[in-house]
Amino acid sequence: MTADALDPLIHVPARLQIVATLAALPDGDALSFTRLQDMIGLTPGNLITHLRKLEDADYLTSEKTGNGPASRTSVALTRRGRAALDDYTATLRTMLNGL
Amino acid sequence: MNPMSDMSEAGTYEDEGALDPHGAARLLARTQRQAQRELDFRSPWLSLIAAGAALIGFGAVWLSVRHQHPFKGPTTAALVVLYLLVAIRIGTVLYAHHRASAGVSGRSARLERAEGVGLAAALVAVYVLMIALVGDGVGSQRAFYWLYGVTATLIVLGTFWAARSAVKEDWPELGMSMAIMLVAAGSALAGPRGVWLGDGVGLCVLLVASAGAQMWLLRTSRSGT
Repeated sequence: MTADALDPLIHVPARLQIVATLAALPDGDALSFTRLQDMIGLTPGNLITHLRKLEDADYLTSEKTGNGPASRTSVALTRRGRAALDDYTATLRTMLNGL
Repeated sequence: MNPMSDMSEAGTYEDEGALDPHGAARLLARTQRQAQRELDFRSPWLSLIAAGAALIGFGAVWLSVRHQHPFKGPTTAALVVLYLLVAIRIGTVLYAHHRASAGVSGRSARLERAEGVGLAAALVAVYVLMIALVGDGVGSQRAFYWLYGVTATLIVLGTFWAARSAVKEDWPELGMSMAIMLVAAGSALAGPRGVWLGDGVGLCVLLVASAGAQMWLLRTSRSGT
């Protein structure tokens, strides 16, 4: 088995960190953009780019509440995203056991 | 409309930094460990603070009542120490919880609010029952009042946490909750004086053991990557 078997959407350092961090939340919970940024340590621009890719793949959802300076964007992993991380972890484990 | 579409600084970063499987596994484990640690308000230090508070607070009350014949109840100074330490315990938990839950929204936040209301109602019910029993002349008044107060409070807190832990399938916390209930019930057998010593020592031992277990789990998860 080669690294090609790993989900290319997750197999990128920044996106792996995003998905793994959001997966630590209980199902049905969301994390604010700023807290996620603090936890992962990415720049806002970099984080937005990766979040968009994951959102386009339906791995996460984002929701904006409020207006103006008080607005807040929260992101949450979808069931599809959680399943994708489970698959990624299982594939990675199989791959490492075979090395 | 994409909620993130109006955020500035959106760059055009590529999928930089290729990962080999070993590197991916290490990054995944490190990120999961870090996220769990940052999103969970519990910590070994919090348990150690609680252990110290339980030993000193209950110990202060025990020292003030151990030679009382007949039993008159804790002295004001002992109660000040106890309530001060209880306040410190509540304050440290609230602070840690506030830090851990910053930016988190959704189902669990709503559930925690509902749990808080349920717990408050249970504690109020215990104290109302206690007042009713003492007012009705049950027990030896002061002795019964203090014995029932400390024991019932610990049993209610233990029951609440046990139910919460069972729903979350958090077996170590369920075991801890049941142990607290056993300590509370067992210490009550020692009477209105001994109950304070039993609760203080018992809770301190449980909380130190809990802190040790948490530290061991942290170390194991680190060395397992």
